Amino acid sequence: MRRLAILLVLVAAACADAGQDSGTLRYYLTADPVSLDPALSTDVQSGEMITMLFDNLVRFDVDAKLVPGIATRWEVDSTASVYTFHLRSGVTFHDGQPLTAKDVEASILRALAPGSRGRHWPLQPIQGASDYAEGRAGGISGLVVPDDSTVVFTLREPLNIFPKFLAMPVAAIVPASAGADFSGNPLGSGPWKFVSWQHDNALLFAANESYWGGRPESDSIRVRIIPEASTQAAEFETGQLSVVEIPFSETQRWEQEHGDLLQRRAAIRDFYIAINTTRGPLADVRVRRALNHAVNVETILSTIMAGRGVRAAGAIPPGVSGHDPSRKPYEYDPERARQLLAEAGYPDGFPLQLWRSQRTEIARVSQAVQQALGAVGITVEILERDATSVRAAVRNGETDLFIGDWYADYPDPENFTWPLFHSRNHGPGGNYAFLSDPALDAMIVELRTTTDEARKEELARLVDTRVFELAPWIFLWFPEDMWATQPDLSGWRIPAVFTGQRWTEAVVSE
Amino acid sequence: MKSFIAVRLALMVPTLLGVLIVTFLLLYVAPGDPVQAMIGERADQATIDRLRAELRLDDPLPVQFGRYVSSVVQGDLGTSYITGRPIAADLMDRFPATLKLAASAMLFAALFGISIGIYSAWRPGSWGDRISALIAYAGVSFPVYWVGLLLILVFAVMLRWFPASGYGGFAFLVLPAITLGMRSVAFLSRMTRAAMQDVLRSDFVRTARAKGLGETPVVLSHGLRNALIPIVTVLGLDFGSYLTGSILTETIFSWPGVGRYVLTAIEKRDLPAVQGSILFLSFVFVLVNLVTDLVYAKVDPRVAYD
Repeated sequence: MRRLAILLVLVAAACADAGQDSGTLRYYLTADPVSLDPALSTDVQSGEMITMLFDNLVRFDVDAKLVPGIATRWEVDSTASVYTFHLRSGVTFHDGQPLTAKDVEASILRALAPGSRGRHWPLQPIQGASDYAEGRAGGISGLVVPDDSTVVFTLREPLNIFPKFLAMPVAAIVPASAGADFSGNPLGSGPWKFVSWQHDNALLFAANESYWGGRPESDSIRVRIIPEASTQAAEFETGQLSVVEIPFSETQRWEQEHGDLLQRRAAIRDFYIAINTTRGPLADVRVRRALNHAVNVETILSTIMAGRGVRAAGAIPPGVSGHDPSRKPYEYDPERARQLLAEAGYPDGFPLQLWRSQRTEIARVSQAVQQALGAVGITVEILERDATSVRAAVRNGETDLFIGDWYADYPDPENFTWPLFHSRNHGPGGNYAFLSDPALDAMIVELRTTTDEARKEELARLVDTRVFELAPWIFLWFPEDMWATQPDLSGWRIPAVFTGQRWTEAVVSE
Repeated sequence: MKSFIAVRLALMVPTLLGVLIVTFLLLYVAPGDPVQAMIGERADQATIDRLRAELRLDDPLPVQFGRYVSSVVQGDLGTSYITGRPIAADLMDRFPATLKLAASAMLFAALFGISIGIYSAWRPGSWGDRISALIAYAGVSFPVYWVGLLLILVFAVMLRWFPASGYGGFAFLVLPAITLGMRSVAFLSRMTRAAMQDVLRSDFVRTARAKGLGETPVVLSHGLRNALIPIVTVLGLDFGSYLTGSILTETIFSWPGVGRYVLTAIEKRDLPAVQGSILFLSFVFVLVNLVTDLVYAKVDPRVAYD
């Protein structure tokens, strides 16, 4: 028995040593990416990987600033509807083929092709894109390639943030020769080359020695698939991961044990409860304000969320143009809440259903909200379902309250107004409150179309103020991301958007 | 024997058809919509309608079922709604990992469970027997989840003997195999103890001892041999259930097996992937049961399939 134990230890030691090669970056995803084919990417995991393997015309840096990619510069006409991109010369795909404007055109046609199941919306603004996607046209009228180094987009309506859409994974550039089974062997022009992908286990990428933007600092990156947060932490603590995200519930332990390894960053994200403004008493703005007054957001934030976040008084997060730090949040005032409910004709309250997914912190926050609303006479029933059921119910307008978060795809006030509150986006589009306000709609449309930056910021502020007053949400907080990084890792920062970290500067010191 | 196998294999068809019908109905009544899961955030109604039409999700249920069964009969499990990859290939990708883990867990369980059981039956009431009872209670009472995390904490994080998680050689197998096999160790040790005690009290064992046979052949040849039927039953059932995926163990140890594949498919309402996996896994389960039955005949000559 003892001999067996010694043998086991020796074998284990040998195996553990074999896994310790230096110079490799070690990252992880919480789920297997859906696809490494940009045309099929709908999830964050795919997006993160595609960003490393491929280039876009433009991309986001780690601070979510829009920077040149394959395009060195671009121009827009005075109506914000014709965009001309000029391409970098001498860029090649990983197999040595040159990347030209023809590939850009082919990539967009491919992503929008009828029958494609990708996440189209960033490309839909191009004139004729919908007709092409639905099989009514053989090409896209708004996409023109006059020569090998120029791409001209004409949009169906003015849109000032269109270049940001082109930084999304679905707009990544693949070779014109890409076939249907591209995901298993993706070929891009990005800083990393695809080596292998064992589903649900790990992906391996190697440095692209001839990357136009300079070779990555490290030789390779191994991306494991690790769904369980406790396992992620164990892998980090045993040195097998370069970085790890810290769950809200684990904040204090990490601050005490590894305070020197932590990085923090204000996330461009909303944590909120959507109030369906079409259902019963919730149609009355006084009731929705009462809900906001009834919840002690400050306490929930400091206890359950370990203080990781900034109290929200609107939907536009700090760091995004239009955010107004001077706006005061709804004050915690149960008396005022009761009074507003009485004015609206509900002195004895009413029952509500709150839908939530199974994430730990959401469970705790839901209970706190339930208790707070109970105190002003609103009995809340919490319905816990898996994410897909919750999503379907919310989008079909079957929920009174829905608790969740909204991640920025790109740091722009449009991302926190148009999908969330414009009446055209009820349900699947992102407007889970089913808010319809013509004045608000008009301002949001102008915000999308104006070419005057100052006017845009002013509009964003006005829209956010109006949203705050209409109270389609219980405004909770803008969360703070926290990651731990190994002491020997440098050149890595928490990205502001999910496409912002390409690991090109990250390096493990020997 | 041959005709027995043939009949059992033929009976698999109605069994699997039943499984298919139940799965199909369950998925149909389950809330959630595969298209909503496919499409991600910021979807527009036109795209949703187009996808529903393409996937023919609005056809009447019997039509959808008929279409599915006819493609399965032709040997095609279809492609995933979400990833677009063929489901049969995805399952074959992951099944070796599940098989490896299930076999290791079973080996661990059989080795420890049966040994502990034999010892307890041989020396009932001894300290060893009491400790084995404790192990058995612990094995059935501690949730897999907790055992897995505890093992990771102690043997990966604190002692650094084994990797915390991941797929690879022997070292990667140890902790998940123990986690998964724990419950079987408990059951097997109690089962072996009970069965062995009956046998060890029987007349032919007394005769064996009386004729001067040593303890080892008495306990192993006479005792264990005759106590094997219930042990094989437990081994067969547990192995069958391990082979059909162990979602918790695979999740905790980032093990790329079929359990996680099925879980992801269910979460995303990837209907063809769920149906294909359940069909495949039912097939495996039925097959393992058949093999178990055949082993009975080997173990006990009185069992004969004619």
